[in-house]
Amino acid sequence: MVVDTQLASFFTAGALIVIGIFAALFLDNLIKKVIGLAFIGDGVNLFIITIGYKPGGIVYIFLPDMTVSWFAQNASYPLPFALVLTSIVIGASTLAVMLGLIIILHKKHGTISASKILGE
Amino acid sequence: MGIYDIILKRIKEIQSKTKEDEPVTNISTSSMLAAEITLISSLIVASIMLRFINKALMMVAVLILILIAVIAMPIMPKLRKEQSDSFSNMLFYMILALGIIITLFYWGSVNV
Amino acid sequence: MNPLIPLMVILPIACALLLNLLHKKDRTVKVLAIVVALVLPIIPLLASYGLHFFGGYYPLSENSAIAGGLPSYITNSALNVFHPAITYSFESAQKIMIFILGLIAFLAIFTSLNETKRPSGVYAFLMFMGTASVTAILLSDDIFNLYVFFEIAAISQVGIVIASGVKKNYETALKYMILGNIAAPMLLLGVAFLLGVTGNVNITDIIYSIKNGIVSPQNPVLLMACGLIVFGWLYGSGLPPFHTIKSALYSKALPHGAALLQAFSVFTFVGLGIIIIRIFSYLPFSKIVIIVISLLAMILGVTMALMQNDIKRIIGYLAVGELGYIGLGLGIGTAFGITAGLFQALNEAIITAFLFLGFGTVLYITKKSDTRKLGGMMIETPKLALVVLLAGFAMAGVPPLNAFQSKLMLIQASIQAEVPELGIIMILISIVTFMTFMRAFYTIYMRPKPPELQITNKNIPKATIISLLVLLAICIILGLYPKIATNYLQVLANSLV
Repeated sequence: MVVDTQLASFFTAGALIVIGIFAALFLDNLIKKVIGLAFIGDGVNLFIITIGYKPGGIVYIFLPDMTVSWFAQNASYPLPFALVLTSIVIGASTLAVMLGLIIILHKKHGTISASKILGE
Repeated sequence: MGIYDIILKRIKEIQSKTKEDEPVTNISTSSMLAAEITLISSLIVASIMLRFINKALMMVAVLILILIAVIAMPIMPKLRKEQSDSFSNMLFYMILALGIIITLFYWGSVNV
Repeated sequence: MNPLIPLMVILPIACALLLNLLHKKDRTVKVLAIVVALVLPIIPLLASYGLHFFGGYYPLSENSAIAGGLPSYITNSALNVFHPAITYSFESAQKIMIFILGLIAFLAIFTSLNETKRPSGVYAFLMFMGTASVTAILLSDDIFNLYVFFEIAAISQVGIVIASGVKKNYETALKYMILGNIAAPMLLLGVAFLLGVTGNVNITDIIYSIKNGIVSPQNPVLLMACGLIVFGWLYGSGLPPFHTIKSALYSKALPHGAALLQAFSVFTFVGLGIIIIRIFSYLPFSKIVIIVISLLAMILGVTMALMQNDIKRIIGYLAVGELGYIGLGLGIGTAFGITAGLFQALNEAIITAFLFLGFGTVLYITKKSDTRKLGGMMIETPKLALVVLLAGFAMAGVPPLNAFQSKLMLIQASIQAEVPELGIIMILISIVTFMTFMRAFYTIYMRPKPPELQITNKNIPKATIISLLVLLAICIILGLYPKIATNYLQVLANSLV
């Protein structure tokens, strides 16, 4: 089966999301859960970037020696990169808040096991 | 023994099974009974809405619901335990809901 | 170009950042917070309706300066009417919703500055950021911008819970964040599917593409996108299966924080719900899912509220249950039903804030929230007991208060749409809601005081009493003259069918 770049990239994004959900659900260590959540975010970001792929596409910077119609035919899709930049920043800030909470809970309970801290 | 005492005994049995040791007061019993009646009657009235799909299905569903309600009478303590603050419960129901929604939207829209 | 429209979002964000810097300077924080919070409900009353394009990038059809230099195969296609900039749309429904949100934010901030010992700049920062993000969710016509502010609202809500100092608040905050970081990327994935299929993140353009056949409406990727966006919507508004964590969140925040948190949930519900109806109403299945989830929310919310012992959890579960009414209104799908649902949303935000602030006075006086240990507050605070009783009547739908009008409209809408079962369930759940409230009221106010109950703070700050009276006044006004609100909402409802 011939798999081109975009399809392989979609599969990788899907695999990251599934691994992330598995880690967030089943692993007991809170840090591992948070790593799983980071995987989910990365998978979705990779998915968005892959949407903008165009085989043989150029970077979407309109240099002075290009014509409008040539640029419109050959540039890859520029919208996803702008969205992903914002999404990566959001992911980083939620990660920071969660890790901060884990530090406080570790000081309080002495463990980072999810079943002991978040159990009941 | 009056019906109220029978109900009180059933509740005490279930509470001892779930290892809750709070005293069963009048207020909590009457609240539980009200919740029970609300739950069963709302579900039965809601299942009457199945008449839009198929009238026979509606009749079967209503009869089955009445039967289940009578057999598994104190549903509320079990429901309350399921919706506790336990994180694993929340995660389970969340993933179950995600699965149900994706399946229904992907395959349900073809037929409706 | 109306500069007041982005000001509704930028002003609270700027004030929040300033307050964070000025934390510990008590007087400055208090004055700045109250002045900006007072301005917040006034801006939507002054702004005129219209669209706002960030960066000034009008669509090509209105922007002949750029359109002149483009080849004709671009300007003659659908790209000519697409919106290249992030668009905010401000119409009559947004006006009244942002006004009510701003009013609740003002009352919550005003109460919090006077009930805590020192005014906290960080706490006010979180409340302003949350208000700004929910305002943006209501205004935004760009679905990715909506996702960004959705996440900011989630972090602000978590921050409000962390800053409360209630027992076990860190654990609840972490649970909410972990659940949120699974649910919110699913919303983003749904947005990504929409982007992949239609090539657009502007909602008006997506609807244009679907209606005019540029993309096939039965595309399975669109159906998956609908499912994922519905899942993200469930998380943001606190519908089942997220109702337990949302009510836990309300119970672990201080009462004024909880009043604002529930307003965030209601307006996120309305904002995202309207968008789901706009884009996906051609799928009859989406309306069925909204009705089923709303029924589940109503039933589970009220039955769980009856089994709780903590006042804040009782009101938290009741708040989640009342969201179901709004969903039923939106799911019925007729113009009258959607107007009724949106009116119910406004009333619910006001009434639940009223209840949280009202029962919050009990917490302030006794520092206890367990109903099994309270009692006899009627002797301590008789006038407040009357005000709280009126709040409970408002929630249950007693005339002439506001929820009576909206619930009546909802029942009429369900009968007109030939689904009277929904009307029966709504009446039943209203009766049980009233019973739940009377149970809470009896155990706190009317039964004799237990001997071990101590009254720690006898003086309730005037700010709290003023907030309660303002909310009561709004309840009575909307109850006597519902047309004030429904006139604004009807325009949106008519455009959705």
